[in-house]
Amino acid sequence: MTTAIPSIACLGVIGKNNNPLHIHTFPSAPSNTPILTALQFSLLLSSTLDIFAARSKAPSNTPNLSGDFGLLHAIDERLAAYGFETNTGIKFVAVVDMRGRIVSEEVAAKGMGLGLREGEMKVIFKSMQMAYIRLLQNPFFDPDEYSPPTGLGGKRITERKFIEDIRRIGETWRPGVAAVAS
Amino acid sequence: MAANKAARMGEEVWKTRVDKVNAELVTLTYGTIVAQLCKDYENDYVEVNKQLDKMGYNIGLRLIEDYLAKSNTMRRCSNFRETAEMIAKVGFKIFLNITPTVTSWTSDSKQFSLIFEENPLADFVELPDDGRSQDELWYSNIFCGVLRGALEMVQMQVEAHFISDVLRGNDTTEMRITLIRYIDDEMPQDDD
Repeated sequence: MTTAIPSIACLGVIGKNNNPLHIHTFPSAPSNTPILTALQFSLLLSSTLDIFAARSKAPSNTPNLSGDFGLLHAIDERLAAYGFETNTGIKFVAVVDMRGRIVSEEVAAKGMGLGLREGEMKVIFKSMQMAYIRLLQNPFFDPDEYSPPTGLGGKRITERKFIEDIRRIGETWRPGVAAVAS
Repeated sequence: MAANKAARMGEEVWKTRVDKVNAELVTLTYGTIVAQLCKDYENDYVEVNKQLDKMGYNIGLRLIEDYLAKSNTMRRCSNFRETAEMIAKVGFKIFLNITPTVTSWTSDSKQFSLIFEENPLADFVELPDDGRSQDELWYSNIFCGVLRGALEMVQMQVEAHFISDVLRGNDTTEMRITLIRYIDDEMPQDDD
């Protein structure tokens, strides 16, 4: 018997002027192709920006100190977008496909529940942040070129190491893991 | 035997007589210098290599004094092989806490390689993707200058250059050092 567990459908890195820096899509079961087209994912990420803006402006008794925005919105019965924003305004968005990976029942029973708890996304964002920090440490990476003031015409991230890191995070993460290899 | 002694000595000096700084400070500072040089010379990497070597040379001229004081060696190395051991196991150890491997000696003992398993200067670095940097830029070229400058002050004229670098996609980072001659007179040397 097999059952479907959540997997990552798309990871997005968005600059401080709401410009896309890097979008990585991942295949979903059962067809092993991305569940949406690149354009659809791009629109989906754009739509999360309003939620980031609304949430960070909304007065709150419990200020958000961790940067974790939790669930941004549930798109349909399969897809849900989670977000994280650093203090410098870099946003990480993870779109999760709730039935993106097929595993056997036994594997699913081993603590990897079918549902998804809020905390389980933290590990993704921590790893993405680490990858982004490593990218910034590269002296040949000039962050200014990637975040033009208007948000238009900025460069996309092309550094191989970073792209590789993001790919690995998306592929190795599954609900319940304590750390993603990076 | 001599190699062991050098390793012990490097360890001892590193532990007791060296002021430490944060590794990231060094890595980021050096990275900024290289990136800025690339910008200033409009990605003329051959020229950047030259500048790094020159900067290293000027560092080496001064660093040797510090090295001699810290390592407490008043004795000259008896041959170039011993010099190589001291460079790798004491010099690199006390200034960078790394010990490159000395290898690939030529039969006349005048030429050897240093293999850098780790290189604190190159942490986090990814060379620019412009199709040339991978073939032209020797990112850690400052090391060559440092060795050239330092050894010149102790009457050895050497030539040093990198022949491979993991940043370029090679398997190892290897520097080739050649002894040209011992300088016997104390006449001031030409500054490049």
